[in-house]
Amino acid sequence: MMTDEAGGRTVGFSRRQFTRSSGGLGLATATVGFPVPLRSQARGRVVVIGGGAGGATCARYLAKDGQGVLAVTLVEEQPRYTTCFYSNLYLAGWRDFDSIAHGYDGLEAAGVEIAPMRAVGVDPVAKSVRLEGGEMLTYDRLVVAPGIDLDYDSIERYSEQTAEIMPHSWKGGVQTKLLRSQLQAMPNGGLFVITAPPDPYRCPPGPYERASLVAYYFTQTKPKSKILILDAKDSFSKQALFEEAWNTYYKGMIEWVPGEFGGTVASVDPKGMTITSAAGDVHEADVANVVPAQEAGRIAHEAGLVDGGGWCPIVPASMRAQNQSDIFVLGDAAIASPMPKSAFSANSQAKVVAMTIRSELTGSRSFPARYRNTCWSSLAPDDTVKLGANYEPGEDKIESVDPFISKVGESRDMRMKNRQEADAWYDSITADIFG
Amino acid sequence: MTLFAVGVMIVARGPGVAADAAYGEYLAQECATCHGADAEDASIPPLPSLRYEELVAALKAYREGTRPNPVMQSVARSLGDAEIEALAAYFSGQS
Repeated sequence: MMTDEAGGRTVGFSRRQFTRSSGGLGLATATVGFPVPLRSQARGRVVVIGGGAGGATCARYLAKDGQGVLAVTLVEEQPRYTTCFYSNLYLAGWRDFDSIAHGYDGLEAAGVEIAPMRAVGVDPVAKSVRLEGGEMLTYDRLVVAPGIDLDYDSIERYSEQTAEIMPHSWKGGVQTKLLRSQLQAMPNGGLFVITAPPDPYRCPPGPYERASLVAYYFTQTKPKSKILILDAKDSFSKQALFEEAWNTYYKGMIEWVPGEFGGTVASVDPKGMTITSAAGDVHEADVANVVPAQEAGRIAHEAGLVDGGGWCPIVPASMRAQNQSDIFVLGDAAIASPMPKSAFSANSQAKVVAMTIRSELTGSRSFPARYRNTCWSSLAPDDTVKLGANYEPGEDKIESVDPFISKVGESRDMRMKNRQEADAWYDSITADIFG
Repeated sequence: MTLFAVGVMIVARGPGVAADAAYGEYLAQECATCHGADAEDASIPPLPSLRYEELVAALKAYREGTRPNPVMQSVARSLGDAEIEALAAYFSGQS
Protein backbone atom coordinates (compact mmCIF):
# COMPACT_ATOMS: atom_id res chain seq x y z
CA MET A 1 0.00 0.00 0.00
CA MET A 2 1.09 3.49 -0.64
CA THR A 3 -0.09 5.06 2.59
CA ASP A 4 -0.29 4.13 6.21
CA GLU A 5 -3.65 5.19 7.62
CA ALA A 6 -2.41 5.43 11.17
CA GLY A 7 0.48 7.74 10.63
CA GLY A 8 -0.26 9.32 7.32
CA ARG A 9 3.36 8.67 6.42
CA THR A 10 4.10 7.31 3.03
CA VAL A 11 5.77 3.95 3.00
CA GLY A 12 7.65 2.19 0.23
CA PHE A 13 5.94 -0.25 -2.04
CA SER A 14 7.22 -2.88 -4.37
CA ARG A 15 6.20 -3.13 -8.00
CA ARG A 16 3.92 -6.05 -7.09
CA GLN A 17 2.27 -4.17 -4.27
CA PHE A 18 1.97 -1.11 -6.42
CA THR A 19 0.21 -3.03 -9.16
CA ARG A 20 -2.18 -4.54 -6.64
CA SER A 21 -3.21 -1.13 -5.45
CA SER A 22 -3.80 0.04 -8.99
CA GLY A 23 -6.72 2.34 -9.49
CA GLY A 24 -7.02 3.26 -5.86
CA LEU A 25 -3.94 5.36 -5.65
CA GLY A 26 -5.32 8.79 -6.46
CA LEU A 27 -8.27 8.22 -4.17
CA ALA A 28 -6.14 6.88 -1.34
CA THR A 29 -3.91 9.92 -1.33
CA ALA A 30 -6.91 12.22 -1.17
CA THR A 31 -8.63 10.51 1.75
CA VAL A 32 -5.79 9.31 3.92
CA GLY A 33 -5.81 10.32 7.56
CA PHE A 34 -3.12 12.65 8.84
CA PRO A 35 -1.30 12.91 12.13
CA VAL A 36 -2.88 15.32 14.55
CA PRO A 37 -0.78 18.44 13.84
CA LEU A 38 -1.52 18.16 10.16
CA ARG A 39 -5.15 17.12 10.29
CA SER A 40 -6.46 20.58 9.53
CA GLN A 41 -4.31 20.89 6.47
CA ALA A 42 -3.70 18.27 3.80
CA ARG A 43 -0.08 17.49 3.08
CA GLY A 44 1.23 19.03 -0.11
CA ARG A 45 1.74 16.37 -2.75
CA VAL A 46 4.70 16.54 -5.10
CA VAL A 47 5.27 14.07 -7.91
CA VAL A 48 8.69 13.94 -9.56
CA ILE A 49 9.01 12.16 -12.91
CA GLY A 50 12.50 10.84 -13.60
CA GLY A 51 15.16 9.59 -11.18
CA GLY A 52 18.31 11.02 -12.74
CA ALA A 53 20.59 13.80 -11.54
CA GLY A 54 17.80 16.39 -11.54
CA GLY A 55 14.75 14.41 -10.48
CA ALA A 56 16.39 12.36 -7.74
CA THR A 57 18.06 15.44 -6.22
CA CYS A 58 14.79 17.34 -6.26
CA ALA A 59 12.80 14.48 -4.70
CA ARG A 60 15.40 13.90 -1.99
CA TYR A 61 15.66 17.59 -1.05
CA LEU A 62 11.88 17.99 -1.00
CA ALA A 63 11.47 15.01 1.32
CA LYS A 64 14.49 15.82 3.46
CA ASP A 65 13.67 19.52 3.93
CA GLY A 66 9.90 19.08 3.82
CA GLN A 67 10.16 17.28 7.18
CA GLY A 68 7.09 15.15 6.65
CA VAL A 69 4.87 18.03 5.56
CA LEU A 70 5.30 17.15 1.91
CA ALA A 71 4.39 13.78 0.37
CA VAL A 72 6.95 13.18 -2.35
CA THR A 73 6.65 10.43 -4.96
CA LEU A 74 9.37 9.69 -7.49
CA VAL A 75 8.19 7.96 -10.67
CA GLU A 76 11.12 5.96 -12.01
CA GLU A 77 10.88 2.56 -13.66
CA GLN A 78 14.55 1.58 -13.40
CA PRO A 79 15.60 0.16 -10.01
CA ARG A 80 19.11 1.53 -10.49
CA TYR A 81 20.42 4.58 -12.32
CA THR A 82 23.65 4.31 -14.29
CA THR A 83 25.23 7.73 -14.62
CA CYS A 84 26.06 8.85 -18.13
CA PHE A 85 28.63 11.14 -16.53
CA TYR A 86 31.77 9.12 -15.79
CA SER A 87 30.65 6.39 -18.23
CA ASN A 88 33.62 7.39 -20.42
CA LEU A 89 35.92 6.40 -17.54
CA TYR A 90 34.24 3.00 -17.57
CA LEU A 91 34.87 2.79 -21.34
CA ALA A 92 38.55 3.57 -20.68
CA GLY A 93 38.65 0.64 -18.23
CA TRP A 94 39.33 2.93 -15.25
CA ARG A 95 36.11 2.25 -13.36
CA ASP A 96 33.95 -0.81 -13.04
CA PHE A 97 30.32 -0.70 -14.03
CA ASP A 98 28.97 -1.00 -10.48
CA SER A 99 30.81 2.17 -9.48
CA ILE A 100 28.64 4.26 -11.82
CA ALA A 101 25.31 2.61 -10.88
CA HIS A 102 23.20 3.92 -8.00
CA GLY A 103 20.00 2.75 -6.33
CA TYR A 104 17.22 4.64 -4.60
CA ASP A 105 17.55 3.39 -1.02
CA GLY A 106 18.85 6.80 0.04
CA LEU A 107 15.78 8.51 -1.35
CA GLU A 108 13.47 6.09 0.42
CA ALA A 109 15.39 6.67 3.64
CA ALA A 110 14.78 10.42 3.20
CA GLY A 111 11.03 9.71 2.92
CA VAL A 112 10.58 9.64 -0.84
CA GLU A 113 8.08 7.11 -2.10
CA ILE A 114 9.24 5.34 -5.24
CA ALA A 115 6.70 4.44 -7.92
CA PRO A 116 8.70 1.92 -9.98
CA MET A 117 6.80 2.50 -13.17
CA ARG A 118 6.75 4.65 -16.26
CA ALA A 119 4.74 7.85 -16.44
CA VAL A 120 2.76 7.92 -19.68
CA GLY A 121 0.59 11.01 -19.38
CA VAL A 122 -0.04 14.23 -17.48
CA ASP A 123 -3.38 15.98 -17.03
CA PRO A 124 -2.50 19.53 -15.93
CA VAL A 125 -6.17 20.40 -15.29
CA ALA A 126 -6.91 17.43 -13.03
CA LYS A 127 -3.31 17.71 -11.77
CA SER A 128 -2.63 14.03 -12.21
CA VAL A 129 0.02 11.79 -13.68
CA ARG A 130 -1.03 8.59 -15.43
CA LEU A 131 1.26 5.61 -15.05
CA GLU A 132 1.54 2.66 -17.37
CA GLY A 133 -1.29 0.31 -16.42
CA GLY A 134 -3.63 3.24 -15.83
CA GLU A 135 -2.86 4.17 -12.21
CA MET A 136 -3.12 7.85 -11.39
CA LEU A 137 -1.02 9.99 -9.07
CA THR A 138 -2.42 13.37 -8.08
CA TYR A 139 -0.17 16.31 -7.35
CA ASP A 140 -0.09 19.87 -6.09
CA ARG A 141 3.20 20.42 -7.88
CA LEU A 142 4.77 18.26 -10.58
CA VAL A 143 8.46 18.10 -11.45
CA VAL A 144 9.25 16.77 -14.92
CA ALA A 145 12.86 15.59 -15.21
CA PRO A 146 12.90 12.91 -17.90
CA GLY A 147 16.31 13.72 -19.39
CA ILE A 148 16.78 13.19 -23.09
CA ASP A 149 15.22 11.06 -25.77
CA LEU A 150 17.24 10.17 -28.85
CA ASP A 151 15.89 11.50 -32.12
CA TYR A 152 16.33 8.35 -34.16
CA ASP A 153 14.60 9.97 -37.13
CA SER A 154 17.45 12.48 -37.46
CA ILE A 155 19.63 9.78 -39.12
CA GLU A 156 18.23 7.59 -41.89
CA ARG A 157 17.91 3.91 -40.89
CA TYR A 158 18.97 4.63 -37.28
CA SER A 159 16.53 3.17 -34.75
CA GLU A 160 16.32 1.55 -31.33
CA GLN A 161 17.05 -1.79 -33.05
CA THR A 162 20.01 -0.37 -35.00
CA ALA A 163 21.37 1.02 -31.71
CA GLU A 164 21.86 -2.57 -30.56
CA ILE A 165 24.47 -2.91 -33.32
CA MET A 166 25.63 0.71 -33.55
CA PRO A 167 25.13 1.90 -29.95
CA HIS A 168 24.57 5.53 -28.96
CA SER A 169 25.64 4.84 -25.37
CA TRP A 170 24.31 8.30 -24.53
CA LYS A 171 22.08 6.96 -21.76
CA GLY A 172 23.81 5.04 -19.02
CA GLY A 173 23.12 1.31 -18.66
CA VAL A 174 23.04 -1.55 -21.16
CA GLN A 175 24.13 0.75 -23.98
CA THR A 176 27.26 1.71 -22.04
CA LYS A 177 28.12 -1.95 -21.49
CA LEU A 178 27.44 -2.78 -25.14
CA LEU A 179 29.92 -0.20 -26.42
CA ARG A 180 32.58 -1.37 -23.95
CA SER A 181 32.22 -5.00 -25.07
CA GLN A 182 32.38 -3.97 -28.76
CA LEU A 183 35.56 -1.98 -28.13
CA GLN A 184 37.07 -4.95 -26.30
CA ALA A 185 36.23 -7.27 -29.20
CA MET A 186 37.54 -4.89 -31.87
CA PRO A 187 40.75 -6.05 -33.62
CA ASN A 188 43.98 -4.08 -33.38
CA GLY A 189 44.02 -1.76 -36.38
CA GLY A 190 40.23 -1.36 -36.43
CA LEU A 191 38.31 1.88 -36.97
CA PHE A 192 36.10 3.31 -34.21
CA VAL A 193 33.67 5.94 -35.47
CA ILE A 194 31.86 8.37 -33.14
CA THR A 195 29.18 10.63 -34.55
CA ALA A 196 28.77 13.83 -32.54
CA PRO A 197 25.27 15.34 -32.57
CA PRO A 198 24.11 18.87 -33.39
CA ASP A 199 23.43 21.28 -30.50
CA PRO A 200 21.75 21.13 -28.09
CA TYR A 201 22.56 17.78 -26.56
CA ARG A 202 23.47 16.14 -23.25
CA CYS A 203 27.08 16.70 -22.10
CA PRO A 204 28.65 18.99 -24.75
CA PRO A 205 32.27 17.77 -24.22
CA GLY A 206 31.15 14.13 -23.94
CA PRO A 207 31.89 12.91 -27.48
CA TYR A 208 35.41 14.36 -27.37
CA GLU A 209 36.17 13.02 -23.89
CA ARG A 210 34.94 9.66 -25.15
CA ALA A 211 37.29 9.85 -28.16
CA SER A 212 40.17 10.71 -25.81
CA LEU A 213 39.54 7.90 -23.35
CA VAL A 214 38.87 5.27 -26.01
CA ALA A 215 42.14 6.43 -27.61
CA TYR A 216 43.85 5.85 -24.27
CA TYR A 217 42.35 2.36 -24.13
CA PHE A 218 43.57 1.68 -27.68
CA THR A 219 47.12 2.81 -26.89
CA GLN A 220 47.18 0.22 -24.10
CA THR A 221 45.57 -2.67 -25.97
CA LYS A 222 45.35 -2.16 -29.76
CA PRO A 223 47.64 0.72 -30.74
CA LYS A 224 47.22 0.45 -34.52
CA SER A 225 43.53 1.37 -34.24
CA LYS A 226 42.05 4.69 -35.39
CA ILE A 227 39.23 6.92 -34.24
CA LEU A 228 37.09 9.03 -36.57
CA ILE A 229 34.79 11.71 -35.15
CA LEU A 230 32.06 12.74 -37.58
CA ASP A 231 30.63 15.97 -36.22
CA ALA A 232 27.46 17.85 -37.13
CA LYS A 233 29.15 20.98 -35.72
CA ASP A 234 32.08 23.13 -36.85
CA SER A 235 33.48 23.64 -33.34
CA PHE A 236 33.02 22.06 -29.92
CA SER A 237 33.37 22.49 -26.17
CA LYS A 238 36.92 22.70 -24.77
CA GLN A 239 38.18 22.25 -28.35
CA ALA A 240 41.69 23.68 -27.88
CA LEU A 241 42.20 21.52 -24.78
CA PHE A 242 41.08 18.32 -26.50
CA GLU A 243 43.13 19.02 -29.61
CA GLU A 244 46.20 19.69 -27.48
CA ALA A 245 45.71 16.31 -25.78
CA TRP A 246 45.15 14.46 -29.06
CA ASN A 247 48.46 15.86 -30.35
CA THR A 248 50.28 15.09 -27.13
CA TYR A 249 49.00 11.62 -26.28
CA TYR A 250 47.33 10.14 -29.33
CA LYS A 251 49.17 11.61 -32.31
CA GLY A 252 47.77 10.32 -35.60
CA MET A 253 45.07 8.25 -33.92
CA ILE A 254 42.11 10.65 -33.83
CA GLU A 255 40.64 12.45 -36.83
CA TRP A 256 37.87 15.02 -36.36
CA VAL A 257 35.67 15.92 -39.34
CA PRO A 258 33.58 19.07 -38.76
CA GLY A 259 30.17 19.58 -40.33
CA GLU A 260 31.50 22.00 -42.92
CA PHE A 261 33.86 19.31 -44.26
CA GLY A 262 31.41 16.43 -44.41
CA GLY A 263 30.99 15.52 -40.74
CA THR A 264 27.19 15.60 -40.69
CA VAL A 265 25.75 12.07 -40.76
CA ALA A 266 22.87 11.38 -43.15
CA SER A 267 22.37 7.62 -42.83
CA VAL A 268 23.72 4.42 -41.34
CA ASP A 269 23.68 0.80 -42.47
CA PRO A 270 24.01 -1.66 -39.59
CA LYS A 271 24.52 -4.65 -41.93
CA GLY A 272 27.51 -3.17 -43.74
CA MET A 273 28.56 -1.18 -40.62
CA THR A 274 28.72 1.93 -42.77
CA ILE A 275 28.00 5.55 -41.96
CA THR A 276 27.24 7.92 -44.83
CA SER A 277 27.71 11.67 -44.52
CA ALA A 278 25.43 14.32 -45.95
CA ALA A 279 28.14 14.94 -48.55
CA GLY A 280 27.97 11.27 -49.63
CA ASP A 281 31.21 10.02 -48.03
CA VAL A 282 30.89 6.41 -46.83
CA HIS A 283 32.84 5.29 -43.75
CA GLU A 284 33.10 1.63 -42.83
CA ALA A 285 33.48 1.17 -39.07
CA ASP A 286 34.56 -1.76 -36.92
CA VAL A 287 32.76 -0.16 -34.00
CA ALA A 288 30.22 2.63 -34.58
CA ASN A 289 29.06 4.86 -31.74
CA VAL A 290 26.16 6.74 -33.33
CA VAL A 291 24.97 9.61 -31.13
CA PRO A 292 21.96 11.17 -32.83
CA ALA A 293 20.25 14.53 -32.28
CA GLN A 294 18.30 14.73 -29.04
CA GLU A 295 15.12 16.14 -27.53
CA ALA A 296 13.33 16.26 -24.19
CA GLY A 297 12.20 12.87 -22.84
CA ARG A 298 8.88 11.52 -24.11
CA ILE A 299 6.73 12.43 -21.09
CA ALA A 300 7.58 16.12 -21.56
CA HIS A 301 6.03 15.86 -25.03
CA GLU A 302 2.99 13.97 -23.69
CA ALA A 303 2.52 16.68 -21.06
CA GLY A 304 2.53 19.42 -23.69
CA LEU A 305 5.62 21.10 -22.25
CA VAL A 306 7.86 21.22 -25.34
CA ASP A 307 8.30 23.89 -27.99
CA GLY A 308 8.79 23.32 -31.73
CA GLY A 309 12.42 22.33 -31.16
CA GLY A 310 11.44 19.49 -28.80
CA TRP A 311 12.69 21.07 -25.54
CA CYS A 312 10.84 22.71 -22.63
CA PRO A 313 10.75 26.51 -22.20
CA ILE A 314 11.07 27.51 -18.53
CA VAL A 315 10.88 30.62 -16.38
CA PRO A 316 14.53 31.43 -15.52
CA ALA A 317 13.86 32.42 -11.90
CA SER A 318 12.32 29.08 -10.92
CA MET A 319 12.51 26.47 -13.73
CA ARG A 320 8.71 26.60 -13.82
CA ALA A 321 7.24 25.51 -17.15
CA GLN A 322 6.33 28.63 -19.12
CA ASN A 323 2.87 27.28 -19.95
CA GLN A 324 1.97 25.45 -16.69
CA SER A 325 2.14 27.17 -13.30
CA ASP A 326 2.11 23.95 -11.25
CA ILE A 327 4.74 22.13 -13.31
CA PHE A 328 8.51 22.55 -13.18
CA VAL A 329 10.96 21.15 -15.73
CA LEU A 330 14.59 20.66 -14.89
CA GLY A 331 17.73 19.05 -16.20
CA ASP A 332 18.44 18.10 -19.79
CA ALA A 333 14.78 18.45 -20.88
CA ALA A 334 14.66 22.17 -20.03
CA ILE A 335 15.84 25.08 -22.15
CA ALA A 336 18.34 26.51 -19.67
CA SER A 337 21.00 27.59 -22.18
CA PRO A 338 23.66 28.89 -21.64
CA MET A 339 23.70 26.29 -18.84
CA PRO A 340 24.91 23.08 -20.49
CA LYS A 341 22.85 19.91 -20.27
CA SER A 342 24.87 18.29 -17.50
CA ALA A 343 24.32 16.43 -14.25
CA PHE A 344 25.82 19.38 -12.37
CA SER A 345 23.33 21.77 -13.98
CA ALA A 346 20.41 19.43 -13.26
CA ASN A 347 21.48 18.99 -9.64
CA SER A 348 21.79 22.77 -9.24
CA GLN A 349 18.41 23.47 -10.86
CA ALA A 350 16.79 20.77 -8.70
CA LYS A 351 17.68 22.64 -5.51
CA VAL A 352 16.08 25.84 -6.79
CA VAL A 353 12.94 23.89 -7.73
CA ALA A 354 12.81 22.09 -4.37
CA MET A 355 13.22 25.38 -2.49
CA THR A 356 10.52 27.06 -4.61
CA ILE A 357 7.99 24.23 -4.26
CA ARG A 358 8.59 23.90 -0.53
CA SER A 359 8.03 27.62 -0.13
CA GLU A 360 4.81 27.52 -2.15
CA LEU A 361 3.34 24.51 -0.37
CA THR A 362 4.59 24.99 3.19
CA GLY A 363 5.22 28.73 3.48
CA SER A 364 8.93 28.24 4.13
CA ARG A 365 11.27 31.07 3.19
CA SER A 366 12.04 31.69 -0.45
CA PHE A 367 15.43 32.76 -1.74
CA PRO A 368 16.68 34.02 -5.09
CA ALA A 369 17.57 31.31 -7.61
CA ARG A 370 21.28 30.54 -7.96
CA TYR A 371 22.57 28.14 -10.56
CA ARG A 372 26.00 26.67 -11.06
CA ASN A 373 27.81 24.31 -13.39
CA THR A 374 31.30 22.87 -13.27
CA CYS A 375 32.42 20.22 -15.71
CA TRP A 376 35.57 18.14 -15.67
CA SER A 377 36.75 16.23 -18.77
CA SER A 378 39.44 13.57 -18.72
CA LEU A 379 42.02 13.62 -21.50
CA ALA A 380 44.41 10.91 -20.26
CA PRO A 381 45.27 9.39 -16.87
CA ASP A 382 46.16 12.27 -14.55
CA ASP A 383 45.25 14.88 -17.15
CA THR A 384 41.83 16.38 -16.55
CA VAL A 385 40.54 19.81 -17.57
CA LYS A 386 37.57 21.77 -16.31
CA LEU A 387 35.26 24.66 -17.00
CA GLY A 388 32.52 26.30 -15.00
CA ALA A 389 30.32 29.31 -14.45
CA ASN A 390 27.74 30.82 -12.16
CA TYR A 391 24.32 31.45 -13.66
CA GLU A 392 21.66 33.99 -12.75
CA PRO A 393 18.07 34.19 -13.89
CA GLY A 394 17.61 36.97 -16.43
CA GLU A 395 14.32 38.30 -17.72
CA ASP A 396 13.97 35.90 -20.66
CA LYS A 397 16.78 33.44 -20.13
CA ILE A 398 19.37 32.24 -17.69
CA GLU A 399 22.60 34.25 -17.94
CA SER A 400 26.19 33.15 -17.50
CA VAL A 401 28.39 35.00 -14.98
CA ASP A 402 32.13 34.61 -14.39
CA PRO A 403 32.87 31.62 -16.63
CA PHE A 404 36.33 30.04 -16.49
CA ILE A 405 38.09 27.29 -18.42
CA SER A 406 41.39 25.41 -18.07
CA LYS A 407 44.25 26.75 -20.16
CA VAL A 408 46.30 25.07 -22.85
CA GLY A 409 49.80 24.28 -21.61
CA GLU A 410 48.99 24.10 -17.89
CA SER A 411 51.26 22.19 -15.52
CA ARG A 412 50.89 18.43 -15.17
CA ASP A 413 50.50 18.95 -11.46
CA MET A 414 47.43 21.12 -11.96
CA ARG A 415 45.92 18.63 -14.41
CA MET A 416 46.54 15.78 -11.97
CA LYS A 417 44.84 17.75 -9.19
CA ASN A 418 41.89 18.29 -11.52
CA ARG A 419 41.56 14.53 -11.88
CA GLN A 420 41.53 14.05 -8.10
CA GLU A 421 39.01 16.88 -7.83
CA ALA A 422 36.81 15.26 -10.47
CA ASP A 423 36.83 11.94 -8.62
CA ALA A 424 35.93 13.68 -5.36
CA TRP A 425 33.16 15.54 -7.19
CA TYR A 426 31.73 12.29 -8.57
CA ASP A 427 31.51 10.82 -5.07
CA SER A 428 29.96 14.01 -3.72
CA ILE A 429 27.39 14.66 -6.41
CA THR A 430 26.19 11.07 -6.49
CA ALA A 431 25.84 11.19 -2.69
CA ASP A 432 23.96 14.49 -3.08
CA ILE A 433 21.66 13.03 -5.74
CA PHE A 434 20.99 9.57 -4.32
CA GLY A 435 21.63 10.03 -0.61
CA MET B 1 24.10 41.68 -6.75
CA THR B 2 20.40 40.90 -6.86
CA LEU B 3 20.61 38.84 -3.72
CA PHE B 4 19.94 41.76 -1.40
CA ALA B 5 16.63 42.56 -3.01
CA VAL B 6 14.61 39.95 -1.14
CA GLY B 7 14.69 41.49 2.29
CA VAL B 8 16.84 38.84 3.91
CA MET B 9 17.11 39.82 7.54
CA ILE B 10 20.60 39.78 8.93
CA VAL B 11 20.26 39.15 12.64
CA ALA B 12 23.82 40.00 13.49
CA ARG B 13 27.18 39.93 11.84
CA GLY B 14 30.60 39.13 13.06
CA PRO B 15 32.73 36.19 14.05
CA GLY B 16 30.95 33.50 15.98
CA VAL B 17 27.57 35.22 15.79
CA ALA B 18 24.85 33.66 13.71
CA ALA B 19 24.21 35.78 10.64
CA ASP B 20 21.32 34.45 8.56
CA ALA B 21 21.82 30.73 9.04
CA ALA B 22 18.63 29.84 7.14
CA TYR B 23 19.92 31.73 4.14
CA GLY B 24 23.24 30.02 4.70
CA GLU B 25 21.54 26.64 4.69
CA TYR B 26 20.07 27.40 1.26
CA LEU B 27 23.39 28.68 -0.08
CA ALA B 28 25.17 25.64 1.35
CA GLN B 29 23.11 23.32 -0.84
CA GLU B 30 25.28 24.54 -3.71
CA CYS B 31 28.41 23.46 -1.81
CA ALA B 32 27.09 19.93 -1.28
CA THR B 33 27.44 19.11 -4.98
CA CYS B 34 31.23 18.94 -4.61
CA HIS B 35 31.89 18.98 -0.86
CA GLY B 36 29.36 16.35 0.17
CA ALA B 37 31.47 13.22 0.39
CA ASP B 38 33.21 12.97 3.72
CA ALA B 39 36.06 10.69 2.74
CA GLU B 40 39.17 11.88 4.53
CA ASP B 41 41.43 11.58 1.50
CA ALA B 42 39.09 13.44 -0.84
CA SER B 43 40.79 16.32 -2.60
CA ILE B 44 37.68 18.44 -2.03
CA PRO B 45 37.44 18.86 1.76
CA PRO B 46 34.24 18.46 3.77
CA LEU B 47 33.09 21.88 4.99
CA PRO B 48 31.48 21.45 8.41
CA SER B 49 34.94 20.86 9.84
CA LEU B 50 35.84 24.52 9.26
CA ARG B 51 35.35 27.30 11.81
CA TYR B 52 33.48 30.55 11.09
CA GLU B 53 36.59 32.70 10.75
CA GLU B 54 38.33 30.14 8.54
CA LEU B 55 35.40 29.97 6.15
CA VAL B 56 34.99 33.74 5.90
CA ALA B 57 38.72 34.21 5.30
CA ALA B 58 38.89 31.41 2.73
CA LEU B 59 35.89 32.58 0.73
CA LYS B 60 37.08 36.19 0.73
CA ALA B 61 40.55 35.08 -0.40
CA TYR B 62 39.02 33.08 -3.24
CA ARG B 63 36.84 36.04 -4.17
CA GLU B 64 39.86 38.34 -4.29
CA GLY B 65 41.86 35.77 -6.26
CA THR B 66 44.60 35.44 -3.65
CA ARG B 67 43.79 31.78 -3.01
CA PRO B 68 44.11 29.49 -6.04
CA ASN B 69 41.46 27.29 -7.64
CA PRO B 70 39.39 28.66 -10.51
CA VAL B 71 36.24 26.78 -9.44
CA MET B 72 36.22 28.31 -5.97
CA GLN B 73 37.26 31.73 -7.26
CA SER B 74 34.28 31.65 -9.60
CA VAL B 75 31.93 30.45 -6.84
CA ALA B 76 33.17 33.07 -4.38
CA ARG B 77 32.74 35.92 -6.85
CA SER B 78 29.00 35.16 -6.77
CA LEU B 79 28.92 35.77 -3.00
CA GLY B 80 28.55 39.14 -1.28
CA ASP B 81 29.70 39.65 2.33
CA ALA B 82 26.20 38.76 3.58
CA GLU B 83 26.27 35.46 1.68
CA ILE B 84 29.75 34.60 2.95
CA GLU B 85 28.74 35.33 6.54
CA ALA B 86 25.50 33.36 6.17
CA LEU B 87 27.44 30.37 4.85
CA ALA B 88 30.01 30.60 7.62
CA ALA B 89 27.25 30.86 10.23
CA TYR B 90 25.54 27.81 8.82
CA PHE B 91 28.63 25.61 8.54
CA SER B 92 30.14 26.62 11.86
CA GLY B 93 26.83 25.76 13.51
CA GLN B 94 27.00 22.25 12.07
CA SER B 95 30.17 21.10 13.74
